[in-house]
Amino acid sequence: MQNTDVILNIGSNSAENHPVSSKWLHKAHERGAKWIVVDPRYTRTAEMADIYCPIRSGTDICFYGGLYHYIIENLIEPNLEKYRAGRFVPEYNFEYLTQYTNASYILDHEFEFDPQTGFFSGWDKDSETYNSHSWHYETDHEEEWDTTPGGTYAWAVGEGVPEFTTPTLTVPKKDMTLTDERCVYQQMKKHYSRYTMDMVCSVCGMDKEDLELVYSTYASSAAPGKAGTILYALGQTQHTYGAQNTRAMSILQLLCGNVGVPGGGVCALRGEPNVQGATDMGMLVNEQPAYLKWANTTDRDTLAHWLESQTYSDGYYTNKPKFMVSALKEWYGENATVENDYGYDWWPKVPSHDGSDWTELSSFEKMKEGTMKGYYAWGMNPCHSAPNSGNVRRSMANLDWLVVADQVITETADFWDAPDMDASTIPTTVFFLPCALIYEKPGTILNSGRWVQWRYQAVEPWDEAKPDYEICDILWKEICALYEAEKNDPKTANPDPILNMKWDYYLDGKIDPIPVAWALNGYKVESSDWKSGFTSNPDGTLSSGSIDLLAGYAGLGANGSTACGMWIYSGFFANNDAPCDPSKQAVARRNNVDSSGLGLYSEWAFAWPNNRRIIYNRASADLEGQPWNEEKALVKWDKDAQKWLTGYANGMDIPDFAATRTLTDGTVQQIEPNNKAFFMLWEQNGRLESYGMTDGPFPEHFEPFETPLSSNPLNGLLNSPCFLGRKFVDDSTRRGRVEDYPYVATTYSVTEHWQTGGQTRACPSLVEAWPGDMIELSQELALEKGIHTGDHVRVWNRRASVVVTAVVTPRVRPLTVQGKTQHLVGMTHHFSWGKLFGNTTLGAVNDLTPNVGDPNSQTPEYKAFLVNIEKTTV
Amino acid sequence: MELTRRGFFKSIGAAITATMAVEMTAASPALAVETEKDWKLVNTEEYTNICCYCAGGCGSLCSVRDGELINLEGDPDHPINQGGLCPKGASMFQLRNVVDPHTKEVIKSPVRQTKPLVRRPYSKKWEPITWDEAAKEIARFTKDTRDAGYVETEMVKGKELTVNRCESIASLGGSQQNSEEEYLILKMMRALGIVAIDNQARV
Amino acid sequence: MSDKAFLFDASRCTGCKGCQIACKCWNNLPSSLEMNHYKFTGSYQNPADLNGDTRLIMTFNEFENKASQKRVGNAITRRSCQHCTDAGCVSICPAGALFKDEATGLVTHDASKCVGCQYCSSACPFEVPRYTDDGLRTVINKCYGCVDRVANGMAPACVTTCQPEALLFGDRADMIAQAHRQVAFLKEHGYEDACVYGENEMGGLHVIQVLKYGVEKHGQVENPQVMGTVGAMNVMKPLTGVVAPLVVVGLGAMFALATGYKRNTLAYNNETQDTIALETGEVVKTGDPQDSRTFTEALTENLPFMEANRKKKQLEAEAAAKAAAEAEAAAGSEAQVQAADTAAATEEDTQEGGE
Repeated sequence: MQNTDVILNIGSNSAENHPVSSKWLHKAHERGAKWIVVDPRYTRTAEMADIYCPIRSGTDICFYGGLYHYIIENLIEPNLEKYRAGRFVPEYNFEYLTQYTNASYILDHEFEFDPQTGFFSGWDKDSETYNSHSWHYETDHEEEWDTTPGGTYAWAVGEGVPEFTTPTLTVPKKDMTLTDERCVYQQMKKHYSRYTMDMVCSVCGMDKEDLELVYSTYASSAAPGKAGTILYALGQTQHTYGAQNTRAMSILQLLCGNVGVPGGGVCALRGEPNVQGATDMGMLVNEQPAYLKWANTTDRDTLAHWLESQTYSDGYYTNKPKFMVSALKEWYGENATVENDYGYDWWPKVPSHDGSDWTELSSFEKMKEGTMKGYYAWGMNPCHSAPNSGNVRRSMANLDWLVVADQVITETADFWDAPDMDASTIPTTVFFLPCALIYEKPGTILNSGRWVQWRYQAVEPWDEAKPDYEICDILWKEICALYEAEKNDPKTANPDPILNMKWDYYLDGKIDPIPVAWALNGYKVESSDWKSGFTSNPDGTLSSGSIDLLAGYAGLGANGSTACGMWIYSGFFANNDAPCDPSKQAVARRNNVDSSGLGLYSEWAFAWPNNRRIIYNRASADLEGQPWNEEKALVKWDKDAQKWLTGYANGMDIPDFAATRTLTDGTVQQIEPNNKAFFMLWEQNGRLESYGMTDGPFPEHFEPFETPLSSNPLNGLLNSPCFLGRKFVDDSTRRGRVEDYPYVATTYSVTEHWQTGGQTRACPSLVEAWPGDMIELSQELALEKGIHTGDHVRVWNRRASVVVTAVVTPRVRPLTVQGKTQHLVGMTHHFSWGKLFGNTTLGAVNDLTPNVGDPNSQTPEYKAFLVNIEKTTV
Repeated sequence: MELTRRGFFKSIGAAITATMAVEMTAASPALAVETEKDWKLVNTEEYTNICCYCAGGCGSLCSVRDGELINLEGDPDHPINQGGLCPKGASMFQLRNVVDPHTKEVIKSPVRQTKPLVRRPYSKKWEPITWDEAAKEIARFTKDTRDAGYVETEMVKGKELTVNRCESIASLGGSQQNSEEEYLILKMMRALGIVAIDNQARV
Repeated sequence: MSDKAFLFDASRCTGCKGCQIACKCWNNLPSSLEMNHYKFTGSYQNPADLNGDTRLIMTFNEFENKASQKRVGNAITRRSCQHCTDAGCVSICPAGALFKDEATGLVTHDASKCVGCQYCSSACPFEVPRYTDDGLRTVINKCYGCVDRVANGMAPACVTTCQPEALLFGDRADMIAQAHRQVAFLKEHGYEDACVYGENEMGGLHVIQVLKYGVEKHGQVENPQVMGTVGAMNVMKPLTGVVAPLVVVGLGAMFALATGYKRNTLAYNNETQDTIALETGEVVKTGDPQDSRTFTEALTENLPFMEANRKKKQLEAEAAAKAAAEAEAAAGSEAQVQAADTAAATEEDTQEGGE
């Protein structure tokens, strides 16, 4: 962040919710960077910024679309002839656009968007889903993999490698002059021609002067050598089109040449301590660890089909078979063989043929229907945090049993005791299992910047509290014992997936995170002995058992010779000289000297993958490998020596592209600079247009589920046609109308508290610093409603009614939307009836938020909904 | 590789820090007048940790004496936060210990629940349960529910697929745990056949 | 060693309250362990003011700002002891409980010596000193500059924890230089009222502040003055010499009128039998002291080790808390619960409410 020239906070209040970011943003700001905040209210971050522009909650895509339009009209079009003539354009980076993105790619001839209807081509009325066929590129020619001995893909066949049909590379047609009307750039120009400045102002409720200042300031980062960064958080993702919001930011950054450069990027400020880790771990319906997809019933129904549908035809993901086989090998150990597809069939297949959804929101519908009967909640508190949380409590009352592992009695553990519940009618058996705190156990944690760091245990847990790894082990042993004992009982469902699973992470006779770290890092199967039981020596070596840790994922094979739970972490825990001593592993490195001067700190801890600090860093240099900005060099092609300058010793980053190739005889060859800047995509170019989304190849503005507008000013559809929850019954989502609920509401956190407050409401000093939930409203609305600061305010909609304290402030102002005054209100969501130190409320603010969400990510729409308010004395 | 002052204190750091603290206390002119107060960090061992709130990854430093946490503050050597901590991070000490306003003594947090509990059907109260009993009961519930809601094979587009799926149990959470714990939770839940797996990354 | 100082840069401060919390944690200062104890002020500023267990708070002042593109401003300020060079509290303290740390010039204290007379609060132009019940008696509680941390090579707890580096600690001269640089930067960026505070005030403060929106918006005292009381005290102090309880009785007598100086603006010196005007330090009358009730009250109330008095105070505190709770229920407006225990310590309420 310290390296940027323009900071754009949109959908993130970094000063409050990620306070450490301020340290680094101030450095950029004082160096001369401009700081912009676009937010429905004037936050503590806005106070830090140079420019503040209010926005109606839920209209971000319109804002971005307008910015594309601005850049195209003011920077690209006026200079296009100059670029075509081969001349340098100082205010816009044409080389980045044409070489590193898919702007020049020709789209399928059926590609279309109809503003009248609001649909892209490929809409299927029956299934109410898109077929993305017409969003692909036109093919120039095809290339096959060379799997012959000595060929690039020789590893893809042979003993131990599962059989599958290798992919065919379809090389797309391009027009480097950007004139073809079917090229991505021209289609984009056409698509966003509707997003004029006046349109954006009218939809988003913005002042034109403010908007022009924001656009012109941000567009200045599109000059070669300049960088702009976007800081976003849940204000972008928690919408029925949240994933398109994130796409929209990525497109903006590609358009400005801001991806892969220091001070650029789309910074997701993630809110949970190890949410990066949990995402890496694939603790999601359709995921497996390290960004590989889980098994399903359509294109991933067998291992061969998985390999065929998931392996990319070019780029780094050509290696997926290595990652997949190594993952299965770790999952099932010696029970995984090439004959049984490495145990692939023991993995549960997610139903993908019937349109069913198994994510959090839908799981509550399944409880309500009575098909979901048991529930594990690991440090999560859906009865307070999930949208429409009253609905969640009513749903959970249908469970037979519930297990909550946490530090305090959360609202989820206690749901049967909520003010709106009658315990005497609730049959659920609830177990509360007390957890250790973070400093009461050791282990690995990830941050938003993909740093993998080690936590040392400082003290023993209080009383009988236990680390989660121990809790898992206790439960797992009991479950296995039951299946072992009853495996012949006809009522017992298939015990094989359980009994064949590898679960031997014991060190010195106890379950321990260190052997798990080995499993995640990866090891050679032949030279590792898990059977003898691991015991350690004081110097960190093993006295029994042995482990042969992999130095990195380059050592992985597709033939069962290696096992690796998490290929992207490979190298983080790889020191074979002291495998039992975390302090001697990359994960615990503590050299805080920054050789780059750019804040890479490459010898502090570890960053996945392969200790790269800035991904896609190839894009920080031009086609010839020369940095756009010499002062901010991440990698550089040394023309004289004909080699890449990279790595800590050169004050640079580890290359995130193919910089060298190793020949069969072991010699390493330098690869001359080329345009393959995004090697995790098969095209190896960034996608301005993407066929990968379920709800459209370009982000298009739709209104939130609950909106003050009766029609969409930009197209014929009010809401996204695909959003999650559109098929939920009305009794569940309880949609409100603007006539009854005239105010646009949003929710957020304050810096003093965190999420549902299970931890922060247990800290008395934080409760003193912020004792209850609030509603922030403008002076104008307060006057209208007779509300004063400190008053109790009842906030309600069709889902619930809650009472919170009023904060009347000039920091919130009414907006003019489509010519009408629109009031916005915002609420915190930290408090409830729970028995911690804070102020209690009868309900929780999330009782008001709608249980609908994004069709790609299934993230709920917390950030824009409708309410009514009144002063109350309760 | 150059090592900074802190890191693996359990082995060597503790001794050094403790010695330094004692010497400095004795030499301190300021403390000479603070006769009634001892230097708070005297004889403490230091353990580094990472904050449990947002995903910034700030380093923290836990000072421990006689097995008890004495102080927690930002790790000054950590390149991200350089000793800083926000209000939430700065109060992580209170997750374990708080100050009694009446006696001014540091006591164990009264709101943290540190023993297993069970709430029986239709009951209005929590009851104590041992770990052993809880584990046995949970395993029994898990097995019975899994067995009743299990789909081993299913017909999809005219083809019989092995699906090994348990549709009657869901698992939520994971962003609070360390990565090794996440892996164990994931393996356990997937082995049961659960597909309804989600964590905070969803929201 | 040269004088040290804090630098608080309001233009870098995000108002996160990390400092407020770090101060409580390092010093093991309690907060209530009861549910629904704290009432939300309706402002980001919680608690509304310093109290006997809170030595540092962040204050917030929101306003419309037509001159700025942003059209609104939020003056965020750190409120705690300013560590004056001419520290009235140190001069006035009869017990030697407040004193300057030689190494740093910071105003520190030793609560074990405090007799609870609370004169220091009357001497402070910033209304900083507060008092806490240590189980036996009511004693001074205020920022002591973390001089023990400084002596051990660490920065004060609030400075260490500050993420945006809005708080720095170092040689006072360096802090002043940095403050001027930052003010120049702010003026260039359109903050015309930005200024340095603390360079000369009260003989020079050891908290140097960069005030982005100027003195008034940040709630600072324009031209703070040493209270007249203190001048009088300087005259008297040599008479008492080493502090001992019996001497304190004498001092208590001298300052019976000084407690709650805001309304009783006169003080009486029983050695010289002079009555002194607190604001000006002038002798307005000689002989014939104040009425005996106030005299006794002030004397006994603030003396240590008097169990009977302590009980009485407890009862009064409970009554005050109850009254406050009732008033709150009736008016539904903010009440300073934390003021209850100290409010009873003096006959008149010298506590300030919210900002």
